[in-house]
Amino acid sequence: MSHRVRQVFWLTVVWVLLWGTLRPATIVGGVLVAVLVAWLFPLPPMRDPIPVRPLRLLSLASFVALDLLRSGVQIGWETLRGGGRGPAAAIIAVPLLAHSARVVAVLAGAVALTPGSYVLQIDRTRATFWVYALGVGGDGAVERVRREVLVLQRKVIAALGTADELAASDRGLAAARYRSAP
Amino acid sequence: MKDIVTSVLLLTGAAASLLGALGLVRFPDVPSRLQAATKPQTLGLLLILLGTAVQVEFESAATLLLVILFQVITAPVLSQIVGRSAYRSGTLRRDTLVVDELADPMARDDDPPGPTPRGGGGGPS
Repeated sequence: MSHRVRQVFWLTVVWVLLWGTLRPATIVGGVLVAVLVAWLFPLPPMRDPIPVRPLRLLSLASFVALDLLRSGVQIGWETLRGGGRGPAAAIIAVPLLAHSARVVAVLAGAVALTPGSYVLQIDRTRATFWVYALGVGGDGAVERVRREVLVLQRKVIAALGTADELAASDRGLAAARYRSAP
Repeated sequence: MKDIVTSVLLLTGAAASLLGALGLVRFPDVPSRLQAATKPQTLGLLLILLGTAVQVEFESAATLLLVILFQVITAPVLSQIVGRSAYRSGTLRRDTLVVDELADPMARDDDPPGPTPRGGGGGPS
């Protein structure tokens, strides 16, 4: 029940922001619309509560914002420099370290905002997702992208994952490092 | 001071959007064009909206921040859906690919007759 109340609260906040005025009529209208939306489109119940880690969330947000800036510059540069053939691209398999829908969704969003890459396919049964990345011409660039996405994934789990997922991701990360080491 | 901040943000944003549009023309295939369409474009829109938010009063700025939030949430969804369809329909230029680690699992998935049931009901399992 409490997640229903929370959904109504946030929908009301969005409604008030959209109107841009904090009048009683706006708030009442927002609550009515929010209740209607929550009743018509119920969200599936979440199995575990969202952990509140504001500092890590802030660190993730600033990391992604910086990444967006870098990716804008990088793609812009590739655009100006690249000839008709186009930049070198790769489709890279990356192990998925957590399984909750929340982490996977945020991770896919964050990868799409990082330089030259987005998630092409997610396969939770194989615990793998595939990243399409541009600008992988140099030696070892594929491994570099794989490592970067793993680090980003670790940050997402640290901000939003449960304690179990965090421990599992650390084990997975150690295993991935061990495998990629020569 | 405010005007300088706004003009820098607006001009940088416009330049980023222009680069995105240019990339759309210059890149060879759908997945790389998607990159040009989503990244410099998102960055450009963000900068332009921030530049505008500095100028207007607080209530309107809150709405602009909401626009930024929705843009950042929805752009990745679009790029994944379109990118996957591009991969499946084969509009990907193979000669620019260094590696394709998806080809093998995808071929194995397509091998058995009939689609494999996956996550019924649309909700996260």
